[in-house]
Amino acid sequence: MKKTKENPLAIVVAGIRLKNPVMTASGTFGYGSEFMPYTDLSKLGGIVVKGLSLKPRQGNPSPRIVETPCGMLNAIGLQNVGVEAFITDKLPKLKGVDTAVVANIFGETVDEYIEVAKRLDDTEGVSALEINISCPNVKKGGIVFGTDPFEAARVVSAVKKATRLPVITKLSPNVTDIRVMAKAVEDAGTDAVSLINTITGMVIDIEKRRPVLATSTGGLSGPAIRPIAVRMVWQVSQAVRVPIIGMGGIMSAKDALEFIIAGASAVQVGTANFVDPDISVKVVSGIAEYVERHGTTVKDLVGSLTTG
Amino acid sequence: MQEQRVEILYNEPVSSRYFRLGLKWKTSVIVPGHFVMLRVSDGLDPLLRRPFGVYKVLNAKGRDKLKGDGIELIYQVVGKGTGILSGKTPGEVLSVLGPLGNGFPVPHPSQDIVMIAGGMGIVPLYLFASTIKRGSLLFGARGKAQTLVAKDFKALGLKVRFATEDGSLGHKGYVTDLLSGAITPGTIVYACGPAPMLKKAAEICAKEGAQCYVSLERAMACGIGVCLGCAVKASAHNERENKNYVMVCSDGPVFESALIDWDRI
Ligand SMILES: Cc1cc2nc3c(=O)[nH]c(=O)nc-3n(C[C@H](O)[C@H](O)[C@H](O)COP(=O)(O)OP(=O)(O)OC[C@H]3O[C@@H](n4cnc5c(N)ncnc54)[C@H](O)[C@@H]3O)c2cc1C
Ligand SMILES: Cc1cc2nc3c(=O)[nH]c(=O)nc-3n(C[C@H](O)[C@H](O)[C@H](O)COP(=O)(O)O)c2cc1C
Ligand code: FES
Repeated sequence: MKKTKENPLAIVVAGIRLKNPVMTASGTFGYGSEFMPYTDLSKLGGIVVKGLSLKPRQGNPSPRIVETPCGMLNAIGLQNVGVEAFITDKLPKLKGVDTAVVANIFGETVDEYIEVAKRLDDTEGVSALEINISCPNVKKGGIVFGTDPFEAARVVSAVKKATRLPVITKLSPNVTDIRVMAKAVEDAGTDAVSLINTITGMVIDIEKRRPVLATSTGGLSGPAIRPIAVRMVWQVSQAVRVPIIGMGGIMSAKDALEFIIAGASAVQVGTANFVDPDISVKVVSGIAEYVERHGTTVKDLVGSLTTG
Repeated sequence: MQEQRVEILYNEPVSSRYFRLGLKWKTSVIVPGHFVMLRVSDGLDPLLRRPFGVYKVLNAKGRDKLKGDGIELIYQVVGKGTGILSGKTPGEVLSVLGPLGNGFPVPHPSQDIVMIAGGMGIVPLYLFASTIKRGSLLFGARGKAQTLVAKDFKALGLKVRFATEDGSLGHKGYVTDLLSGAITPGTIVYACGPAPMLKKAAEICAKEGAQCYVSLERAMACGIGVCLGCAVKASAHNERENKNYVMVCSDGPVFESALIDWDRI
């Protein structure tokens, strides 16, 4: 690509400059550096790291995962190294990688969200915060904030005050009307929304008559949820003005383009990274091929859906 | 440690439910105890890769780190993924991630070695045995096919004792019944098999003062330590690096048995 010509894949989302619209989803890409042996991180639009809390978290009992038709359930329990270890041990490994690094954060109280956000605010190498208000796994955590528009707004406005970084709010699909949640966090000042997080599900071992997961329920991800996610992105795009980052079951450029055409300015690839650690880069090349074939740009494709 | 597309050399039934799968594999070095993640189809169901231990390195060179022309896996058909795998033919290409995991630690030359396997747990132990070429094997064999594999062990010149639940071969009962009689405090034990067997083996070794390494199995999604799905509870007195959980894929699959909380396995 010549310097003089504008990069047709580039997109700005909530002030974050992405060289292409493909990011990796939180919890499916570790802290990024784990994928260096398998893929070229500098080819990605962005990396969203594993959800960070103030203190390290040990996570849920095992079994934590189970495969389902075209998907999987997980109940990891937000195990992570904590924000401090992220800054000192993990983030430096991404130095020199030419991609946007987004820190996904969560807390059990509004104060904890604020603390984590503050700690990351003056950290070099972090382009934005993604607030996880939607994790369905932890009894005390995400679920309260993510399903109550008032609580969600409270977290978002608190985090906004605590940071100068762009704030992306990640929405839970486990609500009656996701537009209500999107609207609430938009009003609270979020710079963008990302969706969807996992959908609560359950698998039962009929021989033992017990749930397969130690926590009984878990979050469903993978291609099985994609049509639901596309529908929700489309609905939210009609309800809010802030940019949308779409995800849920993306396995290919075709899948990613569905989200973009439905109204997402960028996408995140999640579970697919487990199947093929280089898949996100393949999604980038697929989008590049499509954009060239259609003589268009990603920017022009966003929300280009015609209905009726 | 790469994702590669490799050619199937052979995929032959050992019996109706067990297959030997040969894959062309020239690139990376294999350490006994390593595993690979196979994608059995390019479709979406099954979605995730399947983990399998390495049984043999074909035309292997090297002592503890092996390089050769190919690798052989042995798998049991238990569900959808292994069912699809059993239909694959030579010349077809599979996507393989690996080799992954830590592998078995090399024993001290003066240590007595006992290997104890249950069912498909024989797979990584055979590769291990073929590199160290000493020690004895206690094998909890469930079916005829498994005892066929034991021939390979005997070909190495190693002593094999069998246990079967129905008494059709060797000791009638559990393979762990044979363990305490086979070890002394100086022995190093390598165990792979079903969790209850490993738990029992760990208990016996702790009681006899023998060192014990276990190779664990857990449902896996990524195989590279990022999904945190394959967690196993670490024992209280051994929470290394403040870890309450260890990941079977990236911290293991081989663990010193004292590291594991066997009550929560
Ligand atoms: C490190 C490691 C090494 C292994 N080595 C061998 C081997 O050498 N030979 C062999 O026959 N089997 C081995 N297994 C078990 C093998 O991975 C499973 O039998 C296989 O994944 C079953 O897939 P399926 O689709 O046929 O069964 P399904 O029951 O349809 O699988 C459903 C899901 O459960 C998981 N699963 C089912 N059983 C197991 C299991 N025992 N361990 C882990 N995940 C499981 C699958 O991966 C899949 O996600 C190993 C497992 C691990 C973790
Ligand atoms: C194993 C696993 C762990 C996850 N951990 C997190 C997390 O820590 N924080 C978060 O916001 N989302 C987490 N997610 C949700 C994903 O980021 C994503 O929203 C969801 O999986 C849907 O996308 P997918 O179908 O492409 O995976 C996790 C998902 C999986 C499968
Ligand atoms: S399988 Fe993903 S962490 Fe082990």
